[in-house]
Amino acid sequence: MVRGITPAALAELARTLTATHDVFAPRRCGDRLVLDRLASAGAGELPWNAYRLPEPLKAIWFQPGRILARWPRRDGETAPRPRVLFGAKACDLKAVACLDRVLRDHEFKDPGWCAARESTLVVAGDCTDCAESCFCSMLGDLPYPTGLFDLCLSPAEGGYLVETGSERGERLVADHAGLFSDAAPESVERRADARAELAARVRRQNERFPVRDPFEKSVSKHDRTRIWAELAATCVECNACNMVCPTCHCFLLHDVRAGDAALRLGLWDSCFSAGHARMAGGLTPRLQLTERFRNHYQHKFVAFPRNWGITACSGCGRCIEACMGRIDKRECLHKLETRWIPSEVAQEID
Amino acid sequence: MRNDFLPMPALVEDVIVETPTIRTFVLQLAEPMPFRAGQFVQLFLPGVGEAPFTPSSSPSEPGRIEVTVLAAGRVTAALHELAAGAEVGVRGPFGRGYPLHELEGHEVVVVGGGVGLAPLRSLLYTLFERPGFARRVSIKYGARAPQELCFRSQYADWAARPDVDVTTTIDRPSAGWNGRVGLVTTLLDGVDVDVRDACAVSCGPEIMLKFVARKLVDVGFRAEHVFLSMNRNMSCGMGICGRCNVGSRYLCKDGPDLSYAEVQAVPYALG
Repeated sequence: MVRGITPAALAELARTLTATHDVFAPRRCGDRLVLDRLASAGAGELPWNAYRLPEPLKAIWFQPGRILARWPRRDGETAPRPRVLFGAKACDLKAVACLDRVLRDHEFKDPGWCAARESTLVVAGDCTDCAESCFCSMLGDLPYPTGLFDLCLSPAEGGYLVETGSERGERLVADHAGLFSDAAPESVERRADARAELAARVRRQNERFPVRDPFEKSVSKHDRTRIWAELAATCVECNACNMVCPTCHCFLLHDVRAGDAALRLGLWDSCFSAGHARMAGGLTPRLQLTERFRNHYQHKFVAFPRNWGITACSGCGRCIEACMGRIDKRECLHKLETRWIPSEVAQEID
Repeated sequence: MRNDFLPMPALVEDVIVETPTIRTFVLQLAEPMPFRAGQFVQLFLPGVGEAPFTPSSSPSEPGRIEVTVLAAGRVTAALHELAAGAEVGVRGPFGRGYPLHELEGHEVVVVGGGVGLAPLRSLLYTLFERPGFARRVSIKYGARAPQELCFRSQYADWAARPDVDVTTTIDRPSAGWNGRVGLVTTLLDGVDVDVRDACAVSCGPEIMLKFVARKLVDVGFRAEHVFLSMNRNMSCGMGICGRCNVGSRYLCKDGPDLSYAEVQAVPYALG
């Protein structure tokens, strides 16, 4: 059932939850919004982020420097404080789906990720605007959440429509029933129109990068061509694209001493670093930047779909905004599909 | 929830000096860790780091494993400082292990280079413990110099087994060495097996694997029957951390041994 909530009641809900939860929500910082922990005082209404925030959600669930293990084992670890996350968008949730597959849904489980996912209520929201770099449409995705949320907010007259996406979400609404109202059927219809309109806008703004083929095909047909040198020409290996990417999850298992004990840390890492895959003897399997650049695309658009049945790109466009070499993933994908000159195929060297 | 990033405690029971640069650590594990030949473990030095090794001992002794280590980098240098009685950690086992089902009933050529004989020794023990499993085991092993030949004292015992032969070579002539001289690939010219039916398993430096694989195919082996230890910097062991991929495969989960046919399908996998 879809309900309604006013901005004041939503702020009240967030404030109430800070008593029992760590609440993460958009916060105004100068002329932009950032994801931050809400102080218990929680001044005023929650700002509405019209599209994804600058930070990928992995920043709170898969922190840049996590403790993966303590040596020797320490029993009686306290469970993390439950969390609530406001401001998640559809692309954020697609990235969560990618990371769930790698970190949770197979033989090996990342305990930190599993615990953080389990203990976090996700309050997602429709996109009501898009950044110039947004390209979820090119991945076949939509700018409004379709799953993996507990509550989903859609702006409507007088506040927001609230859709529940889980039992946990239902419970949250039931526990704070006084803050919610019934939704008018016409606002639910208007939500559908608004969603369709924004989806069309994202499609239109990406019409200048027409792609027809699956990315898996466009990328793998360039296994041995020289196009990568051209695409990587302005890459300065700053790793920014990896850091802001919501699906990138490479990490360095870094061991440090801590008094008599030892900590095992997981530090965000980048496949663009020359030393990323270096071995003890000094051999580096991908010595050239062009090989690492190709590997990045190969992993996101070929290997990941083959291994996990989902493309490891959400079309959030953060990598486009972060790139100081002005490399635009959409343009690269477009070139990969359209440029196919057999004479370009490099001589096999092995 | 089980934490696979947390190693199991292990005690260094003995340190065997194999060569000037290679040592074998005999580890008594807190609990047995059943493994298949070719699966690897992460050997952990608290606060220092971790490195992947395939045990060189037999899987039939899962509580007392041997790991043979070449001092090559930061962690391995620190390992070489250890003496009996030291406490370390072990995680694993990881990976698929050697494709034993592919080897059953075939002649098996085992091609090692340097410390690459260490993981292969685990395979050899496995084959020796199952008489008749492989029709024959032909060991071809090369090292840089005579003093760098690993497990030297065992060759005679191995060769004394029925259907097992051992040939060694060193890279350059050396005073007092009367054996063969030349890279290990020279031992594969005119190799005395039915090449269309035989399997080969190789471990050594990547550059060696590249030329061993080419040579084996040149003399008639099928690429599907040539298995290469594509060891990379496996770190997490679970297909998460993202540094050991070859194409779409994570060697820590899907390897580290791949057939040459699988390797050839990945661009530039062997440099």
